[in-house]
Amino acid sequence: MSSEDYELSDEDYYDEDDMMDTQDDDGASAISEDMDTMDDFKISTKPVRKSYEIDSESLSQVAVEDLMNKDVEHICGIFGVPVDTASLLLRHMLWNKELLIEKYMDQPTAMLCAAGVAAPEPSSPEPSRSHSAASGSTTRRSTRSASKLLGLGKSKASSPISPVSSTASKLIPPKSGGPESFVCPICFDDTPDVPTLALVCDHQYCVNCWNAYISSKLRDEAEHAIRCMAEGCALVAPDEFVRSALKTAAVVDPTLNEDTDKLLSRFQELLVRQFVGANRKLKYCPYPGCTNTVSCPSAATKSSLNMVVPTVSCGARGIGTSMTSSQVLERESLGLQAKEHTFCFGCPIESDHRPVVCNVAKMWLKKCHDDSETANWIKTNTKECSQCQSTIEKNGGCNHMTCKKCKYEFCWVCMGPWSEHGTAWYSCNRFDEKAGVDARDAQSKSRASLERYLHYYNRWANHEQSAKLSLDLYSKTEKKMEEMQITSSLTWIEVQFMKKAVEEVDKCRRTLKWTYAMAYYLAKGNEKELFEDNQSNLEQAVEELSELLESPIEADIIPTLRQKVTDKTVYVQKRNDIVLEDTANGFLDGRWKWNTPVDGFDDPENMEN
Amino acid sequence: MDARLRRVNKEIADCKNDKTSNIRIELIDESPFHLKGSFPGPQGTPYEGGNFEVDIVIPESYPFQPVKMKFITKVYHPNVSSASGAICLDILKDAWSPVLTLKSTLISLQSLLCSPEPNDPQDAEVAKHYTTSKSSFEETAVYWTQIYAGGPGAKKSKESASASVARDEVAMAGLDHAHVRRFVGLGFEQGKVIDVLRRLNYRGKNIHNIPDDKVVEELLKP
Ligand SMILES: [Zn+2]
Ligand SMILES: [Zn+2]
Ligand SMILES: [Zn+2]
Ligand SMILES: [Zn+2]
Ligand SMILES: [Zn+2]
Ligand SMILES: [Zn+2]
Repeated sequence: MSSEDYELSDEDYYDEDDMMDTQDDDGASAISEDMDTMDDFKISTKPVRKSYEIDSESLSQVAVEDLMNKDVEHICGIFGVPVDTASLLLRHMLWNKELLIEKYMDQPTAMLCAAGVAAPEPSSPEPSRSHSAASGSTTRRSTRSASKLLGLGKSKASSPISPVSSTASKLIPPKSGGPESFVCPICFDDTPDVPTLALVCDHQYCVNCWNAYISSKLRDEAEHAIRCMAEGCALVAPDEFVRSALKTAAVVDPTLNEDTDKLLSRFQELLVRQFVGANRKLKYCPYPGCTNTVSCPSAATKSSLNMVVPTVSCGARGIGTSMTSSQVLERESLGLQAKEHTFCFGCPIESDHRPVVCNVAKMWLKKCHDDSETANWIKTNTKECSQCQSTIEKNGGCNHMTCKKCKYEFCWVCMGPWSEHGTAWYSCNRFDEKAGVDARDAQSKSRASLERYLHYYNRWANHEQSAKLSLDLYSKTEKKMEEMQITSSLTWIEVQFMKKAVEEVDKCRRTLKWTYAMAYYLAKGNEKELFEDNQSNLEQAVEELSELLESPIEADIIPTLRQKVTDKTVYVQKRNDIVLEDTANGFLDGRWKWNTPVDGFDDPENMEN
Repeated sequence: MDARLRRVNKEIADCKNDKTSNIRIELIDESPFHLKGSFPGPQGTPYEGGNFEVDIVIPESYPFQPVKMKFITKVYHPNVSSASGAICLDILKDAWSPVLTLKSTLISLQSLLCSPEPNDPQDAEVAKHYTTSKSSFEETAVYWTQIYAGGPGAKKSKESASASVARDEVAMAGLDHAHVRRFVGLGFEQGKVIDVLRRLNYRGKNIHNIPDDKVVEELLKP
């Protein structure tokens, strides 16, 4: 990333001050105070925001930690409690400061017990073992376990509410020459000089057990709340205790060192994830291995998701993408840039599903999933000739088919006669609704509705497939181009025009794919027709560019080809922009009507076509 | 020595040395991490007189993650799957604590047999049976104890008794012979009748909620 980007990101930030206003004041100030720590911020530079783009900001883990610390300090200030206590209280209340303040002011002791900061009074018969408010059955059943009968984990009467100012933990140095040597009740280790640790409840275990326990919680369960190991003890280890336990274990056994560093950062990551998960304005980057967070306040409410498609990026690329490593290698070997960490802020779809809004995209994916059997059937490579019924197999990428037996020329996608398609197969993007309207009996109705679905599904799947095929094709082309660079007078730069085109085709096919999900649910009428006009124009342009990319490459035609491809690429970009922009504006204006109820939109019954 | 191995070895040894408890832990093969536990059914319960065997698998991160246990012996109990022996018990899940041991966990299983929790069932059909007619449930539980856990009924005349009871699928399913006979009398296969009545929870007072034609309708389904 160049230094210009950093400067731009600063500007971006100040422009976005307004958007942070909805967050509480200290949240916003936390960011501005820590501008110098924002080196990791990777903000895409978009000078003018288009209607299909959304303001968002990428935060590094450090920046999120600063936000977290602000909240903690705020609570420390009000309650007069140490940092670790405030952290446990906030995590217990899922960072809802207002509710925490209200409840704590009302019943501080109960709050401290519930958050695992302090043990309940010894008189209370059954210590609540749940640290989250939601677990009912565990408390109910805790009488069942029988360790008490065996004298295991013998607990001294748990200490009454401990002074809140203590850090709620004890690191007990190895007992030297004590009357009875300590035997760890978990590992039965009685080696002298092994340090033991206990929380304020004084349930002591050796440091090796604490270390193994904490690693298991962090790794196997992704759990950041480390409860005391004693049965039924509801205390939660403060952060400082967790860290010092891990570090002490590494001192005792230096071979753990490397592991300890990983565990410490895992712990930190889990704490940040919990904070991010509790804040609707933030979302953790879903790409594996990535620790960035995206802030997108304008997509924080449910209703906003019916107006915009919040496609965001954490700014990072490559390693830790959702692609398999072989896919990554493939892209990299093609010289294509590693994919950016693009995802939807509003729903779990880990890619760009513009132009269609989250609720409709989710409905479509669910439908495809439920109907996967049908979908698999249609994806198979054999179909029946609609004229002579003989089986036809597809073995190339082109959709212009000719039946070997009867010589019938047809379109693979719609099975209609090729002659009606003119020279371009793409004019088949519209589904002929007449068949559905004419259908009289239930059986032909359900057949019509299946055909309607398959029409859209087929095109959706086709764009996904074609995007992959164009990458394959590019790898062949690229090789040839590089050879040419050696055999001809062309420079390396001059043979790069294909790369841009392939990337553009890839992007546009993704748009096209989702336009079919959108069109499937759009209510009939003028708006849908205009939408499909734009879709068809983009599709036509993309197919033409794809076809150009398939042209045979010879050194002497390169200059012309280069001009054609470059021009077409620019045109395709423009068409894609139109589809995205017009659809996005339609959502902002409330112009799109659906043929089925969609969460957050008016019911289709109440509208006219 | 590996801390997990040391701990498990000590647990096995402690259990052997403890003459007062009647919990047993044995090796299945050479591995100390796959064991078989057993305990007698608690007195004053339908499981009295039976011997219950439990499959024990010790996970990699034991004792920091809970031990995996399931019944080898078939048990008729709301919190135990009648098909797989899987157990629904808090300490085997999120209420696990590393201070718990194999022995203490087996004791907890024993006490689970004393106090079923039908509101948090592992086996919904058994739980339904328990809540609709406790006495009928207990009859079946006793029956299963006899057949599968070597309970007192089986001891009397081991071979002949177990051979004849083993065939009594009606009792196994906790159903009434007369009810089954009635629908078999309509020309349905006994296996099918048992299956349908079991699923409909055709037991105790609940039979008044299930009209005959509902049963027949179910029986007619392919
Ligand atoms: Zn230990
Ligand atoms: Zn404790
Ligand atoms: Zn990322
Ligand atoms: Zn979405
Ligand atoms: Zn033909
Ligand atoms: Zn077509």
